[in-house]
Amino acid sequence: MHSDHRNEIELRSVALGYPGKRVFRDLNLSIRPGRLTAFCGPNGCGKSTALRAMRALLPADAGSVLLRDRPIADLPVKTLAREIAMLTQSPTAPEELTVEQLVRLGRYAHRRAFTSNTDSDRRAVTNALRETNLTDMANRSIGSLSGGQLQRVWIAMVLAQASPVILLDEPTNHLDIAHALEVLALVRRLGAQEGKTVVVVLHDLNLAARFADDIVFFRGGEVAGSGPVEEVFRQDLIEDVFGIECIVRHEEVSQRPFCVPIAACPGRRDRLVQD
Amino acid sequence: MKSAGPIHATTASASRRPIVLALCMAVLCLLGFASIALGSSGMPLNRVVLAILGTGERSDTIIIWSLRMPRLLMAGLSGVALALAGFILQRATRNELASPSVLGIVDGAALGVMCFLLMFSNESNALVVSIMWQPLAAALGALLFAGVVILLALRTDAPPLRTILYGVALGALAKAGVTLFLVDGPVHRASQAAMWLAGSVYQARWADVDVLAIVLTVFVPLAFLLSRRMDQLMLDEISAQASGLSVRSTQLMLFGLAALLTAAAVSFAGAIGFVGLIAPHIARLILPGRAGTQMLAAALVGAAMVMAADMMVRTLFAPLEVPAGAVTAVIGAPYFLFILIRAGRIHA
Repeated sequence: MHSDHRNEIELRSVALGYPGKRVFRDLNLSIRPGRLTAFCGPNGCGKSTALRAMRALLPADAGSVLLRDRPIADLPVKTLAREIAMLTQSPTAPEELTVEQLVRLGRYAHRRAFTSNTDSDRRAVTNALRETNLTDMANRSIGSLSGGQLQRVWIAMVLAQASPVILLDEPTNHLDIAHALEVLALVRRLGAQEGKTVVVVLHDLNLAARFADDIVFFRGGEVAGSGPVEEVFRQDLIEDVFGIECIVRHEEVSQRPFCVPIAACPGRRDRLVQD
Repeated sequence: MKSAGPIHATTASASRRPIVLALCMAVLCLLGFASIALGSSGMPLNRVVLAILGTGERSDTIIIWSLRMPRLLMAGLSGVALALAGFILQRATRNELASPSVLGIVDGAALGVMCFLLMFSNESNALVVSIMWQPLAAALGALLFAGVVILLALRTDAPPLRTILYGVALGALAKAGVTLFLVDGPVHRASQAAMWLAGSVYQARWADVDVLAIVLTVFVPLAFLLSRRMDQLMLDEISAQASGLSVRSTQLMLFGLAALLTAAAVSFAGAIGFVGLIAPHIARLILPGRAGTQMLAAALVGAAMVMAADMMVRTLFAPLEVPAGAVTAVIGAPYFLFILIRAGRIHA
């Protein structure tokens, strides 16, 4: 879709953090267009922080975040929302909202003041509902849905935003394995069909290996490795990043690598803490 | 435990909207008629209608047009203002406990009026400037206290409950200031102020009604212009921001608007409590979803609440003048408790 740019999103020497807590000192990272990139790493390594910076929800203290070579800090809020949609880690909305009402909230950035629903709004909402298999549930209140259904509704809202880039912060959190697979398959399919650039924070390494094109490994406020799954999903890197002992094998059916964790490795952990 | 199926199944139907709104309207009209007919001297309906049309007996016409009508309209309009202020605050803070009185804005407005009365009274307790400046003083007080609440809340990125506590603390501060004035201020003004503070529309005059109506014609459309932003604020702050809303500037605008609406109501009708808290709840119950229609419903419910309260104080306690605010509090406080208890059960 945007093949004229080598990188969709690029972070250059970015310093990031919260008051009293610096998370990244010098973060350099690039996200390739039209691919599904997974952010992996242990708790507190900065995955979600990096994701928020890419959506300008957390301002960079230094350095620059670029969307197709333009600094995102310069883009108006609504323009940015039309370019990058984001599903946060634990989104909330009133229980009595219907599925359709919630999905329609994704259209905010496309609406002009004082106008009602346009045809393109209605089309985007209908499409988002269809793609997430929610058409039959459009009029149900979100309070009556199961966890997996609700997560699909949130994804539908993000889809309705119709942006070329989608960021998802742990979309499989609190989901059982069947629903997690369902959600990731959906994300994967949408990315492939519409050439969207998708970045997903994932806790589960094997889900990342199964669905992602690229993986970025974070460790203690640094990028420990990034690139195509085949290149970075290596035993040494994973052991180093997570402080574990593991074996990486190739799985025949999906033609993807997978990781068998053996044991936590206290020595490595201690070294990490000292860092 | 959450209630299942049947309740949720009916929530979506957009076709319900006009029916519900029409019902609200009908109740409001009935209340209006009853309110005009009832009073220290009851009036049969045919005489009410004739008097309204201006073809009735002269005494009837005077009672209705110069006594009961301004009072009724004042009650209705201040109800609208308080209900909208409460609705806006509940959306802006994403907290169903928020309301102009809980967040200290009512007391802020009251303090503004008190300062005004104190500063511009002469030795014989007469105002040295026009009473028309009083709403401005209320607005300044309300804006000041709303501003401090939201700045504290934003500065510390406070969770919803703490925002409420900031409001309660500031409200207590304003109340203390008002009490000092009542004890230490000019005697005549103090007794007048005490009645006004409890929330009453009994002194309503056409001039006041006119001013309040003009103020509302400016602010109500503004509230509806912001309704899409309020819809977006149903999402948590990060999701709302990610969807393209400037959350902080929206919250500032909404707080400012709510403060001005509160000030308009308080400066004319006094501190009528719980309307701003409960009218939006009822609206949300009967019309879930979009802010625009819900706001309409809240405005109608708010008007009906204050009108009904005023009608009760005029009939049940006659010839005593009990402030309408006392009735809204007597009905409102238990309802508020009920909401709290029910909310507790849902989350348990």
